[in-house]
Amino acid sequence: MTTPASKSTPHPGTTGSEGSPARPTELSDLAVMIGGQGGDGTLTVSDLLGRYFRKRGLYVYTSRNVLSRIRGGHADASIRASRDPTAAVKSDVNLIVAFDKEAAEIGRAELAADGAILYDSSSFQLEGPNAFGFPFATLVGGAVGQPIFKNTAAYGAISVLMGFDAVQTRQVIEERFARRGGEALQKNLTALEIGRKAAQETAGFPDRWRVVDGDAQHQILTIGNQAVALGFVVGGGRFFAGYPITPATEVMEYLMRYLPAFHGVVRQAEDELAAINMIIGASYAGARVMTSTSGPGLSLMTEGIGHAGTAEIPIVVADCQRVGPSTGEPTRHEQSDLAHLAHLGHGEYPRFILAPGTVEDCFEITVQALNLAERWRLPVILLLDQALCQNTTTAEPFHLTGVEVDRGARLTPEQLQKLETYAQYQFTPNGVSPNVPPGTPGVFSQVTGNEHNEMGHVSVNPVNRVKMMEKRMGKLIHAEPELPGPHMFGSPEAKIGLIGYGSTFGPIREAQAILERHGVPTRFYNARTLFPVPVRTLEPFLASVDVAYVVEHNYTGQFADLIRGALPQHYKKLRSIRKFDGASFRAPEIVGPVRGGA
Amino acid sequence: MVTSVKPVASTWCPGCGDFGLLASVKKAIAEVGVPIHEVVLVGGIGCSGGIHNFIETNGIHALHGRLLAQAVGVKLANPELTVIAAGGDGDGYAIGMGHFMHAFKKNASLLYVVMNNETYGLTKGQASPTSPVGFEGNIEAPFDAILTALSIPVPNFIARTFSGDPKTMTQVLVEAIRFNRANRGFAFVEDLSPCVTYNDTFKDWRARVLDISTLPGYNPADRQTTFRLCVETMQAGRIPIGVMHRPAEPNPKEPGLELKLLPDKVGPARADIGLETNRAAYEKLLRAVA
Repeated sequence: MTTPASKSTPHPGTTGSEGSPARPTELSDLAVMIGGQGGDGTLTVSDLLGRYFRKRGLYVYTSRNVLSRIRGGHADASIRASRDPTAAVKSDVNLIVAFDKEAAEIGRAELAADGAILYDSSSFQLEGPNAFGFPFATLVGGAVGQPIFKNTAAYGAISVLMGFDAVQTRQVIEERFARRGGEALQKNLTALEIGRKAAQETAGFPDRWRVVDGDAQHQILTIGNQAVALGFVVGGGRFFAGYPITPATEVMEYLMRYLPAFHGVVRQAEDELAAINMIIGASYAGARVMTSTSGPGLSLMTEGIGHAGTAEIPIVVADCQRVGPSTGEPTRHEQSDLAHLAHLGHGEYPRFILAPGTVEDCFEITVQALNLAERWRLPVILLLDQALCQNTTTAEPFHLTGVEVDRGARLTPEQLQKLETYAQYQFTPNGVSPNVPPGTPGVFSQVTGNEHNEMGHVSVNPVNRVKMMEKRMGKLIHAEPELPGPHMFGSPEAKIGLIGYGSTFGPIREAQAILERHGVPTRFYNARTLFPVPVRTLEPFLASVDVAYVVEHNYTGQFADLIRGALPQHYKKLRSIRKFDGASFRAPEIVGPVRGGA
Repeated sequence: MVTSVKPVASTWCPGCGDFGLLASVKKAIAEVGVPIHEVVLVGGIGCSGGIHNFIETNGIHALHGRLLAQAVGVKLANPELTVIAAGGDGDGYAIGMGHFMHAFKKNASLLYVVMNNETYGLTKGQASPTSPVGFEGNIEAPFDAILTALSIPVPNFIARTFSGDPKTMTQVLVEAIRFNRANRGFAFVEDLSPCVTYNDTFKDWRARVLDISTLPGYNPADRQTTFRLCVETMQAGRIPIGVMHRPAEPNPKEPGLELKLLPDKVGPARADIGLETNRAAYEKLLRAVA
């Protein structure tokens, strides 16, 4: 075992005296990265820390860096705990917990100046003043008989390093492993004590930091994909078909648990072609429907989405973006599907693209997407991204305030009987035709992806074609006032604008706070409708600033391009801050270009 | 009294085999006594896929190859509907092959009729997955849907009919629709339906079709025997038709997988999704998220 005290250098908040720091450094915003080989239990350490921090009322945000394989290969998780709400990865890491050498190597680049590395010295050694080695696997292997419990031992050592409350530290283990039964729990408790004891006996190690308490005990811990699934249920969604694909699969998995209790059906389809067409069929039959997918699946669904657009069948498609094209990087983050979605498919048809920025917003906008799809009888794309879909975050508990179910022009039997003619594609001022599902006595409906007349019969009549195109495309104009408006943050007087959507919300909010401290006020336009481009709110926003940075995760600046196309008069004000390395923005990556005037 | 969409005149060539199928579908629906507003006819792309326009029911004109996926969606959303998917051999066995195979496995209680004319008629006579070697330069062996269907171990109803024998065809369709309405699972009927313009096989097929039920040992509950009889018939240059698989009556004490497809008879389309109806259950669901 290395002797951490001899390698440890004095750091702020400790005295140089042997063993007992006089005053630990207080942390109100901290990040821990835990890395190792797949199967090392890094996610368990992250989970245990998250549970402890939540008990202390802190906001928690975790992200994962895993390879697209089940076991093996390097994997790491990072957890941020903070007294203030956060939905971003912290740019500097306070503590690296390394079960393999790679973790330390990857983590060092982001290690804070006074950060520390805690590592399992059973199989490798690390140099450096702030590297603390404990042979967790060896110690636990001897006492418990299974080295796998090294992760719980590491949690024990962290609890000493950060001055955790001993009782609550233990409670976390008891709660986490209660369901696994007596033996597993006992082994974990033994491992915990081994880790704590080793840490306590290491001079200069205990109480290096003290984590301040917060007041966010009431918050839940969730991910965007769960919020979408819950929003779908309370928004009246009852039929879901999907094909497993990272990072979208959790939506289907949650719905498999939730929907059967509400007469709902979830089917795993044979491919994305089937998934999109199954929801089209179910929607025609009268159900509220959704599928979720990611880039490759979206490409396969493209024909079906266009069919729904021209056949006027309400569907919601959640696109959990990942690195593309092709298989890309399945587990990594990107926002590069927007250009495809805005022009999705052959031919022309209306679609809305909505983009929630937080998990609370995922819940809310999913409900709105269901209403908008049915009110306007067209496809609605719910544009998400890997970080929003899968990073766990504390959030306000979901509630039903503001939830409503609006079925639009769906006719009651009484309304239907008052009509002379029921026409599936009746021309109306706003382009939406009153509608009943099949099975309604007395009337029939015909839907088709061929161009058709009001009755749903195939037609190539040029006059009808023009009227039908105007009927469908006009929805983009008529519906615009109903589409989710932006959330605005910062001073209305600010001359620097920031524009972003999806998970860039968290990093942009953090960047705003940093810029504010530097005396640079900014205004953030958090776009929640991306298409049709929300010119009604974007135009005055752009008019009010001297420069606007569009922050997005892609190479070409796709959202910036859409805005330039819709508002060419503000062409010169728009700049891009782009990132496409597979990881989500850290606040300094936004602060830097803004301060530099890039 | 509100009026709605009416059938239009057929676009098929005079003498097309699809007329026989259309007439039999109408007769079968009437004979089973299904209210026509409860029928949804899902058509594919191709000449045959226009069938939903020529009959007074609800209809979907699906994407090419995707009619089965849409039909499954309709049926699972509203189990009370009688769903008939109808398309051609190109639609079902080429571009739609993935859904075709999985339809047996999914086993939703709907009827799928393939009007097999061994050509792509609407695009003017190219080889299809069932075309014999030599047809329009075809150098690929033909695909046989019945042998494939028999190879999937699920208790589906499987049959082949011939448009030149409308009486038998109607009987088969009646049985298939009854099978669906008893929620016993997926029914597949391949109708040999000649294309009089690009592949007029009426005379040839009439001479070659052989009702498999007339063969010694015929037992439609035993797929192994049926498979053997089909292969032997084909090797003799004949085309087997008739009921290929008729699953044994289900044991009420051991419900089949087809019943597990649906949580209940209400289904997603008819569920009351009003907020107030569900408020208590929703609040419980949301509270469980910690």
